[in-house]
Parts: sequence; structure tokens; C-alpha cells
Amino acid sequence: MAGITLAGVEKHYGRMRVVHGIDLDIAHEEFVVLVGPSGCGKSTTLRMIAGLEEITGGEIRIGERVVNDLPPRKRNISMVFQNYALYPHMNVRDNLGFGLKIAGQPQAVIAERVREAAEILGLSELLDRTPAELSGGQRQRVAMGRAIVRHPDAFLFDEPLSNLDAKLRGQMRAEIKKLHQKVKTTVVYVTHDQIEAMTLADRIVVMRDGYIEQVGTPMEVFNHPANTFVATFIGSPPMNLLPGRIEGGQVRLAGGEAVPVPARLAARVAEGLEVVLGIRPDDISPVGHGLGEVAEPADITLTVSIAEPLGMESLIYTTIAGQEVQAKLYGPRIVGPGEVLPFRLALERAHLFDAETGDTLEAR
Amino acid sequence: MQSVALWFATFLLMVIMSVPGLWVVLSAFRPNREILAKPPVWVPTELTLANFGKIFGFGSEQVGIPVTSYFMNSMIIALTSTVIALIIGMAGGYAFARYRFRFKGGIFLGLMLFRAVPGIALSLPIFMIWSRLGLIDAKMGLIIVYVSLNVPFTIWLIDGFFRQIPMSLSEAAQVDGCTRWQAFWKIEFPLARSGIAAAGVFAFLTSWNEFALASQLTRSTDSKTLPVGLMDFTAQFTIDWAGMCAMAVIIIIPALIMTFLVQKHLIAGLTFGGVKG
Amino acid sequence: MSRAFQTGRVNWTPVLLLLPAIGVMMFVVALPLVFSLYTSLTSYRLTRPETIWDFVWFRNYERLFGNRDFWVAFGRTILFLTIALNVQLILGLGIALLINKITWGQRTLRTIMMFPMMFSPILVGFQFKFIFNDNIGILNNALQSLGWTDRAIPWLVDGKLAMFSIIFAEVWMSTSVFAILLLAGLFAMPRDPLEAAKVDGCNAWQVFRHITLPFLMPFAFIAMTIRSLDIARAYDIVKVMTDGGPAGRTELLWTMIARTAYQDARMGQANAAAYLSTILSIAFTYYFYLKLVESRRYMGGVQ
Repeated sequence: MAGITLAGVEKHYGRMRVVHGIDLDIAHEEFVVLVGPSGCGKSTTLRMIAGLEEITGGEIRIGERVVNDLPPRKRNISMVFQNYALYPHMNVRDNLGFGLKIAGQPQAVIAERVREAAEILGLSELLDRTPAELSGGQRQRVAMGRAIVRHPDAFLFDEPLSNLDAKLRGQMRAEIKKLHQKVKTTVVYVTHDQIEAMTLADRIVVMRDGYIEQVGTPMEVFNHPANTFVATFIGSPPMNLLPGRIEGGQVRLAGGEAVPVPARLAARVAEGLEVVLGIRPDDISPVGHGLGEVAEPADITLTVSIAEPLGMESLIYTTIAGQEVQAKLYGPRIVGPGEVLPFRLALERAHLFDAETGDTLEAR
Repeated sequence: MQSVALWFATFLLMVIMSVPGLWVVLSAFRPNREILAKPPVWVPTELTLANFGKIFGFGSEQVGIPVTSYFMNSMIIALTSTVIALIIGMAGGYAFARYRFRFKGGIFLGLMLFRAVPGIALSLPIFMIWSRLGLIDAKMGLIIVYVSLNVPFTIWLIDGFFRQIPMSLSEAAQVDGCTRWQAFWKIEFPLARSGIAAAGVFAFLTSWNEFALASQLTRSTDSKTLPVGLMDFTAQFTIDWAGMCAMAVIIIIPALIMTFLVQKHLIAGLTFGGVKG
Repeated sequence: MSRAFQTGRVNWTPVLLLLPAIGVMMFVVALPLVFSLYTSLTSYRLTRPETIWDFVWFRNYERLFGNRDFWVAFGRTILFLTIALNVQLILGLGIALLINKITWGQRTLRTIMMFPMMFSPILVGFQFKFIFNDNIGILNNALQSLGWTDRAIPWLVDGKLAMFSIIFAEVWMSTSVFAILLLAGLFAMPRDPLEAAKVDGCNAWQVFRHITLPFLMPFAFIAMTIRSLDIARAYDIVKVMTDGGPAGRTELLWTMIARTAYQDARMGQANAAAYLSTILSIAFTYYFYLKLVESRRYMGGVQ
């Protein structure tokens, strides 16, 4: 039984601060994804958990043990690296068994555990090959196999799919998910790809510039982003952000147009407050081509700049209040540039953020 | 037309590259009188091993040059200094490849600049100091000097080879349960092995071929090396060209074998260490 | 992301790892150099050991700078290095381009190229002493057999010819370093910029001048840096071939140092000259090392 606890964890390089006092509780068997743009401190955080970077301040516990000063080998964790880090001079069997051999396990135990891991990952046929003779996906599986044979307290993944092409990445994502269901273990997974975060995580940790911006389940983070950064980072295409001001129970946008304040937020806004209206492309659609019933409609006539047909849906670029906005058209209809159409906004799914701080105005 | 010119240029190049060496080798198997003959004998009429017998002290004709001792001295000095330089260079190269520390660039440059001191200039103070330490005409004296001669370049090469190995391999091994020391010996060292061998050959060749320092720091069969011994011939009344050629062959053979074994890694090491600073 | 192991406190591991290297360099190079500097300020003669305490300040240097023979040897050394290194660079570039063009046998050619690299300089000297010998050397024999000349050309006896012969030997020995490293550069060269330049309308010369050559520069500087570490190896060649003769016509700085020190036993004087040659070599290495570091900067985008 081992969760992971980070309490006020900091990392400095000389005078440069990379991680600013992170607090995080990861439950036993939980799959947590650290996500954020490059340079946000997510990899450094993972490497501190692994023991590959020293911790400048704070405390990391794995299970009940404080591991701050333990070397990686004493933490009982395993890690999958971005470039897989397979040992090029060993075949797959020896790569898988290396950790057990170092731990002094008897030959029979090693053979059995390697066989078991190879079976789970479909590597049984490849045991005698060297890493150079494997495809990208196979290498990825060996790296994961090396992690599971040791039955560690936690798996750490450092952007494991970033070296694969798009198709393979989708497959491996599913395999990682299956693997976690088979081998129930605590997982900390680092990625810059919000789709990986959404699909894999029990909980997502969004990071920026060494701070945690939001922690929550994928749906919480998607439906209730804590601030404009999270709102635009999670979800693709990103949420549209339109600056405006509260005037007479409406949001008056910078270009003069006004839309009503979403009903659930009416009590939380004061007259004259500078706000940012956030609305996802899925919630702006031509009338009759939207995503199901709209409870709080707001209609607006817009001119199409460009449309990108994607088959059963089209992505439409248009402008609201002088600002470029993306919208979605559901259905096989084709629209062209310059076409003027009535659009409907689903305000019950819109968000309001404080323009000054970027924080959400929703109750949290 | 262009390709004919290309082939001719290549041919000419190869002739200039290889004929001088081959001519020396050929002459080593010819009797001295044929070498001295006027008009010249172009096609050898007889090939003989007598020259080798002569310099190693077999057969009827002998020369007063103890080539066997020189050979042994050269081997002992070159091998010992190479092993020591490799150990020191491996530690240093690893430090440069894997750690960040203050004055790193400065220390690296400093080592290189020390290496640039001309052998003959360095021989003067070393000659004076070694005389006081009793290291003149001792193998140990030359070994110490050759270690210092080889350490900077060995570090340059080995640093390059270690930097080619991703850091994450050592990290993966540490996560897998290794200490830093185990991770080095089980993962990084085996992967850098051929590069380290190339660095070793380079060090060996430097020691094996060195003349300027050896000629001043050695005196007798106790420590004289082959390049110094080759000059013994010039002190004789008439130059024994055939004997010298035979000795040249003896000097070149070990160098030849070693270079061929590691040539690929040697080139890789030289370029990598240099280009990726 | 930075992978430094270093944090606020000092990490002693690299210091310990480097200690033996620094120690041995201090003992065998730095310490003797200090001693050499001191000796160059005394009138020390090997034959009279007590003179090591006879401190004369800069008299050795003054005498050196006032000596015509020194300046001649110094000038000849500079000229020798300038000619030899330029010829090596240009020939090396030519050879690399040549081998790069050839479609088969590249490996064999490269192996043959390594031939001279493993030769001891003393062997190279001997080899060319043998070949350039006016009486029995293969060169004169060949010229005479072909009927191009009927007299023995005094390759190593005439001053100018002897200098030429020495430069030839030096070029033969060290051109490979340039050729091999430049060839490695050509092999490592990405195709895209070449093709882009051709599409942009560059002719063969322009492609070479603006794409290939700049890409090869770091490799040329590596070769120069490596070469600069042991330019003084030429001492061995001269020692065997002419020993500075005839009548000092091939005397280089290094043979002069050896002669002053070991034959004339004037150690103080020799150390002064040795110090100047050391500074020359170090300046030379430093210059090319800086060039190498500088040229790497724009390589960053390529590699």
C-alpha cells in the first residue's frame, strides 16, 4: 500500500526556482497525470519523486516513508523514460530481468517474473532480440515491462509516448490504460499532451511555471477550469476567451455586443466588473447544427471566415467583437467563407473569469 | 573524362601515401649490398630474413644494437603508461561528461594547453628534476612522463564517448536498483568500451612512437626505447640501411595491428568530442 | 531541462574524479615549467652545477634576442609551420573531397589514409632520409633510371632542397589528420541544405563555398587543434633527416633548444628558448581552440 505525498516541495538551481512549493496527495493505486507546457516543472517534479534530482525544500513521502535523502534504488519505484533508456547491449530478456538480478533474486524467480511481464505486454516472441532490432512501439513495451517486473510501489512515466507517431501513440495510450487496470499500482505520469492527460488520468494536475494551477478529475478540469490558463490548456480546439464587462446583468463585450450572464453565475458577478467570457467551440454552433438541446441560448449573427470540414462536423473560424473565435458545426453541411449565419451560444456551459486575476468566478 | 581524372588522382594519392612505407618494408627483406648497388636493382633478386636475424642477434652477421631489449622496454613503458593514463583519463572524462562544476571549461582548456608544451622544451626541466630524483634512465621515469602526455587527450576522447551515451541509461539503472558505481560498470562502461579501447590505442601509439623526451631521459638498455634505438644506427661508421629498415618494420607492426583494430572508433571519437563541445 | 546534479552545496564527486589528472599534470608539466622559468633566469650550465644559483635576471633572454641565429631559426620555424599547415589543410580538403566522390573502396582508401598517422615521426624521418638519400635513395635512382637527370640531386645536402624534403615529410605524415576529419565532416553533412541550395540556383562552386565549406570549418578546427598539440613533433623528423644541417640551414627552434641544452650544456640559455617555444605552442593551441568553440556555436542548429 503506497500513495505518494508531496509537501511544500521546492527545487532551485542556484538562484533559479523551477518548482515553487508543491503540495500533492496521490492515493494508492491512483493514476495521476502531471500536465503542462514545457518548462513548467512537471519533469523536475517527477525526477524528484524518482530521486534523480535532489529536493531543495519540502518533503516527499512514498507510503509512510520520507524519501528525501534516499537514492533512487531504495525508493522501490520504477520509471519509463522518454527515450525508453533500454540497455542497448542486453537483449529484451536481460533488460526485463536487470533490476531483479541487481536485487539478487534467484534465477528461477527472475525467469518467472520476466515470462509473466512478457506475457502481459505481448513480448514473449521478442525476448532474445536486442533493442536495436525492435520497433518504436515494441521498445515502449519493453520499457514498460522493465517497470512492472519489479512489482514496485509506484510507476513513474516521463513523457513516454512523445517519440511515437500519432497512430502508435493512440494504441500505446490504450495499452497503458489496460496495463494499469491489470497491474493496479500508483502511477505518476508526465506529459505535455492534454489528450493523454484526459484519457489516462484518474486525476489531472495542471502545472505552469513551477506552480500547480489545478488538480481534479479530467471532467472537473474540463468542465470547471480554475482559471483562463487551464481553460485554454485543456480541451482542443481551445476555449474561446472574450474580454468584457458586466453591465445590467449582461456581459458587454469589447466590440459592443452583449450576451446574458449565465444563470448559475448571476449571483457571483457585480455590476461594472471586468471579466473574460470563456466558451468552448462546441458551444457556439449555427442554429440547428448544435450539440443537443441548449438550455440558455443566446443568438448572434456571424460571418464565416474559414471553414474546415472534418466529415461529420466542421470547424468554423469567425469573429465576435473583433476577436477571432472558433465554432463547431455538427452535421454534414458545408459552409463557405463569407457566408452569414445565425449562431447559437450555449451559455449554460460558458464560463466567466475575473479579467484581472484570470481566476474563475464560479463557486469552488 | 571526369571520372578518369578522378581515378588518376586517387591512384597518384595512394602511390604517394603507400610507396614510401612499402619501400622501407621491402628493403627490410633485401640484403644491404642490393640496396647499395649502382646501378640500382629494381626487381629484388633475393628476399631474406637475415636482416631481422641480424638485429635480434641471430645468425652469423650481427649488429651491436640490442633490439630485443629496446623492444621489451618500449612494450613495458607503452603498456604501463597506457593503462595508467586510461584509468586517470576515464575518471576525468567521466567527470567532464556527466557533471557540472565550476571552471569546467577552464580546466579542460588548461589540460589541453599543458599537452601543447613541446616535448623537447619539456625535456629540459624534466631532465634536471629527474636527475635529482634518480629517474633518468629508468623505465619509471619515462612512464610517468608518458602518462601526463596522454592524460589530456585521453580525457578529450573518453569525454566524447561518454557523452554519446544518454544520461537516462544510467538513471534507469539507478531506478532499477543500482548504485551510481554499479550503474557505471554495468551499463555505461560496457557501452563506452570500444571507444575507451580506441583512446587506449591512441595513448599506446603516442608512447610507442615518442622520441624527443625518450632520447634525453634514457641512456642504456635499461630504458631505451625503439625510436631512440633506431638512432643508434646513425652513430655507426657506415649506415646499415637494411638493418634500419628491419628495425622500422619491428616498430611499425604493433602500431599497425592496433590501429586497424580500432580505426573506426578512433575517428568517431575525434570528431564527436570536438564538434559537440 | 537541466540535468545538473549540482545543487546549492558543492558536489565533490567530479573533483575527486579529476584529482589524479590534475595531479599528474601539475607534477609532470606545471612544476617543471615553473622550474624551467626559474632556470631560464640563471646562467645554469650542466657542466657546472653550482651555477644554478647564479641568478642573472633576463640576461639569457637579452642574449637570445640579440642572437641572429635565434631569429633565423625562429623565422624558419614560423615559415615551416605556415607552409606545412596550409599545405596540409588544402591537400587534406582536396583528398577528403576526392574520397567523398569515389563510389566504391571508400573504406579501404580511408584505411590507407590512416597509414601515416600511426608512423612514429622518427620513422617518417628515417623513411624519407632513406628515400631522399642522394646516393642510394629510390627518388634519385628513379629519376636517373628514367633518364630525367644524370647527376645525384643533393636532396638532403643542399639547404633549400633539405628544407623542402623536411616539409615534404611533415606534410606526408600529418595531412591524413586533416583528410580523415574533413571526410568525417563530409559524411556527417546533412543533404537538405545542399539540395536547398541547388534548388535556390547555386552552381557547384557556390554550393561548395557557401554550404559545404562553412559546415566543414569546425572539423578543420578540430584537426588544427589536434595538430597544434604536437607541432613540435617536427623536431623528430629534422633530428633524423638533417639534425639541423647542413651548416644550420634547416635549424628549427626545437633543434636549436636541444643543441644548446645537451651539446653546449647551456641549460639557462636553452630554457629561455624553450620557454619561448612553449608560449608559441600554447598560443597556437589556444587560438585554434577558441576558433573551434566559436564555430561550434552555429553548428548548434545543424547537429
